[in-house]
Amino acid sequence: MSGKAGCWRRGAALAAVVACLACGRGTQAPGRKPIVIGVSLMNLSNEFIVLLKDSMDAKARELGVQLIVNDAQRDAATQVRQVENFVAQQVDAIILNPCEFEASSPGVDKALAAGIAIVNVNSETRSAPTAFVGSRDEESGRIAMDYIARRLGGRGNVLMMHGFMGQVAQIKRDQGAREILARNPGLKLLADQTAEWDRAKAMALMENWIQSYGPGIDAVFAQNDEMAMGAVIALEHARMKDKVVVVGVDAIADALQAVKQGRLDATVFQDAKGQGSTAVETAFNIVRRQPYAKAAFMPFQLVIREDVDQFQRR
Amino acid sequence: MESDLILQIRNLSKSFPGVKALDDVSLDVERGRVHAVTGENGAGKSTLMKVLIGVHAPASGQILFKGRSIRLRNPHDALRMGISMIHQELLPFRDLTVAENIWMGQEPTRWLPGWLDKPAMNRGARRLLERLGVRLSPVTKMRELGVAETQTVEIAKALACRAEVIIMDEPSSALSGREVEALFDVIRELKRRGVAVLYISHKMDEIFRVSDTITVLRDGCHVATMGTGEMDENRLIALMVGRPLDAAPPPAAVNRGDVVLEVRELTKAGAFRGVSFALRRGEILGLAGLLGAGRTSLVSAISGLTPAEAGEIRVGGRVARIRTPGDAIAHGIAIVSEDRKQYGLVPTMSVKHNITLASLAKCCRGWFLDKRAENRIAGEQIRAFSIKVPSLDRRVTFLSGGNQQKVVIAKALLADPAILLLDEPTRGIDIGAKAEIYAMMRRLARDGKAILMVSSEMAEVLSLSDRILVMREGRISAELSPENATQEEIMKWAMPS
Amino acid sequence: MGHAQLNEPRSDNSTLRRLPHQWGLILALVIICTALSIARPVFLTIPNLVNLIRQISINGILAVGVTYVLLTGGVDLSLGSLVALTGVIAASFAHPEQYPPAVPVLLGVLAGAACGAVSGCVITKGRVAPFVATLGMMTAARGLALVLSGGRPVSNLSREFTWMGSRDVAGIPILSLIFFCVALASHVFLNNFKLGRYIYAVGGNENAARTSGINVNAIKMLAYTACASLAGLAGVVLASRITTGQPNAGVGYELDAIAAAVIGGTSLSGGVGGVGGTILGALLMGLINNGLDLLNVPSYYQQIVKGAIIVGAVWMDRSRER
Repeated sequence: MSGKAGCWRRGAALAAVVACLACGRGTQAPGRKPIVIGVSLMNLSNEFIVLLKDSMDAKARELGVQLIVNDAQRDAATQVRQVENFVAQQVDAIILNPCEFEASSPGVDKALAAGIAIVNVNSETRSAPTAFVGSRDEESGRIAMDYIARRLGGRGNVLMMHGFMGQVAQIKRDQGAREILARNPGLKLLADQTAEWDRAKAMALMENWIQSYGPGIDAVFAQNDEMAMGAVIALEHARMKDKVVVVGVDAIADALQAVKQGRLDATVFQDAKGQGSTAVETAFNIVRRQPYAKAAFMPFQLVIREDVDQFQRR
Repeated sequence: MESDLILQIRNLSKSFPGVKALDDVSLDVERGRVHAVTGENGAGKSTLMKVLIGVHAPASGQILFKGRSIRLRNPHDALRMGISMIHQELLPFRDLTVAENIWMGQEPTRWLPGWLDKPAMNRGARRLLERLGVRLSPVTKMRELGVAETQTVEIAKALACRAEVIIMDEPSSALSGREVEALFDVIRELKRRGVAVLYISHKMDEIFRVSDTITVLRDGCHVATMGTGEMDENRLIALMVGRPLDAAPPPAAVNRGDVVLEVRELTKAGAFRGVSFALRRGEILGLAGLLGAGRTSLVSAISGLTPAEAGEIRVGGRVARIRTPGDAIAHGIAIVSEDRKQYGLVPTMSVKHNITLASLAKCCRGWFLDKRAENRIAGEQIRAFSIKVPSLDRRVTFLSGGNQQKVVIAKALLADPAILLLDEPTRGIDIGAKAEIYAMMRRLARDGKAILMVSSEMAEVLSLSDRILVMREGRISAELSPENATQEEIMKWAMPS
Repeated sequence: MGHAQLNEPRSDNSTLRRLPHQWGLILALVIICTALSIARPVFLTIPNLVNLIRQISINGILAVGVTYVLLTGGVDLSLGSLVALTGVIAASFAHPEQYPPAVPVLLGVLAGAACGAVSGCVITKGRVAPFVATLGMMTAARGLALVLSGGRPVSNLSREFTWMGSRDVAGIPILSLIFFCVALASHVFLNNFKLGRYIYAVGGNENAARTSGINVNAIKMLAYTACASLAGLAGVVLASRITTGQPNAGVGYELDAIAAAVIGGTSLSGGVGGVGGTILGALLMGLINNGLDLLNVPSYYQQIVKGAIIVGAVWMDRSRER
């Protein structure tokens, strides 16, 4: 496009886009300004976070609240910037799904300094927010390792697959698992390595472990379901699956299906839906000056074959 | 002018795997004199120079600089001593200014360590350039300069390094008429200042005009050193080649055939305008002119690399639409470009692959390459053009300049063109290989090929062409016949009015 | 000498002459293998070696693909994202009782080819530098993968589709047979086909290639399309192996692929290299991963060791050349 005609066309297109955005703002409740909540999520390429977001959207629609959702793409600096933008826009409240314990804390500080309520969801930061909704990741590690201990009768060789080293979830789940290992001297941790939450990497890692330890493997604890699935597939190919107990965390759809089919021994359910909707509800209550819980911990739940159906419905 | 021996080379020997490049060479260089070093390709000139500037370490022998034996470990050592080289392929820092180029590596600083003293740089540069008799603003960016000016800046740079010996490698190869004169003026100035100049060249007339002493190398050995006054051209050639060269045969009577290429009002903004001429089968048409006259652009347009904007090209009587080199090749036009490094050769490929590149269809069965056929065809070309190479698969960069040029010519001819465009075909090539290329061109013309040759060497143009066109500022200014024309007359038509 | 008689020029068998250039690399490989067999004897067993070739297959396919592009003097940073995108696309068509497995495979490869053609156009017609153009494709393709999949892995794939990523034939993983076929075909193409020769010419000296009548733009398009098609194939194969189409798959795969090719002797400036070297490079990288896992080297150290070995292998190889 060139010249005047192009200019007009571009201007019209821009106006149309702006109009659409304006429409998308939603209907206003008569006489009352809708509540606007800024949400900064850790990483929308993560299935769990996507579930979190979906439940937040649903709750927001139910309450007539408007959400501005940002994706920090696993970068704490980006997240802090997003919080600053929310502050500048003067949102009513902020929901933060922190990337990092330390590095995301400045975001919390800025929000509080500006007098805007901030609710942490799923992970903690060093700075204390107005409220916290989440689960204790150590719990999931404990639950998973405890199940393994029970299945193995307190003795056997265990392998552990880590998520991204240094992320809060990895640190906490590792902590919880090791607590149980310490309590069960008959359980030996043969090796632990990171597979970075990734199914393909976990598969390759499992294949190499099978070479290293062969029939000496009794159980594998993978800190998330994607890695657990990778381990399961590798074990199935090596025809070793029936001798090895594999446990994951998250209870994603694929894993639940696998537990149902008896391929994955167990997973640990993290209530993404509950966390998301409670976070929105808490923020709503804070703004409306209604009573709210300063800290809401949703429990992790072990999911084994018999339980799958009820979890699939959630 | 006191004549002092500033550089003495004693019994220098240097070998590379498979070849003895220098064999017991000795040479004396006097302060304030121009010492020409000449010889065929492979004679050892460039190896000798590389040893002198510290790129190679000699296997045996000595270099005495101002009477003291020196050991050069790298070019930096040589520069510090005062030995500097102006290379044939100039590589200036195009986006930096003249002054920055001149002072590169030894910039004056002030205030903080490392803070460039730009005014001092510009002043110093201006002084050096004036000393060389050249008017050039030190703040001009190098990319705005032509080849001749770039070369002068290089010489100024050598002076800035306080060079006492300046080696010049084929300095006039990229220059034409007037600029060569300017270069000689600069050299005379250098002599006055006591700088010794080692002048490497194949050009007989220049050697005789500018040098005081001539040294001839052949096959890595020192053959002779004489004062220029005691030498004459035939004797020099005989010493270089080891046998007397036959005088260039007169252009044989050729059957000049029909017009194969006709160009009408060919125009390209900024390069050439309204160019029209005809080229016949069996004819060698020389295109003379100064640098910048538009000859290379014209030839590049006809070959499809940078197509013309207006005008017509007719091949064999029919209008030919030439917008890519592929079109030109399809019409039987092949070009040997002026800059073989940029346009002629693929440096990562072997001699064999380079030769067959423009005519792979000949070595193919459908889309599949027939390697045996390729070997055979390449072998034939290598024999036909006497290309010196131990193996077809040797990388083309290992060949001497003359042999590389032959590879480019062989590649062009493999495509069986009816029309051959040659742009400076003998640039940077020694006398022996030149003679071979001249003979080749005459043979091709006799066989019926039509040849358009661009050349800045008047002697070459006069001796080879059947007809001469002179280009000036983008237009054809004259058509001359070699029987009546002289170098001066060509110059006259080539100079801008 | 002078213009005296010419020694009859022979043609050395070109593959034979090229082999010595990779001696440094082959030496490095032998050293590493020996060291590993001593430290962990299980390394030299058939199951582990089969594991090894299975694990290098996907990176291998990508590395062969990127070799085409590197040979023309370009680069393709979008490979990892293409793996994710094509994996998602293929998986979406690979549910049980849906289409025969040839359909998702074909669609994945074609999706890759389409992206490669787009990159190629931007680079040739748009005259955008390959680094920038493929960087753009990298982010766009990743975004598209997330959009098409809704951020979730596409699971529930048919047995027929996952067959190729999981089964063996005569003890060799099908995955690896695919890699081998791709490598062989590419080697034959680059060495024995006119177009293959033109790829080397364009990378060696684009201007000289142009004056030789080669359609440089067409050759570049060919290279980028071929590379992206192979990335598409790799994506399909990966989805088959991990039984899901993952929008997050392949992060960083392009760097591993380029590393394998460069280690194997393919020059980043173009015109030099080939499939043989690339395979050796991929082998070296696979060896390192496999070895470090067998030795149970902690993750942080693995990165350092990997970096050191890669630089060391290339240094040994290049210093031999000089």
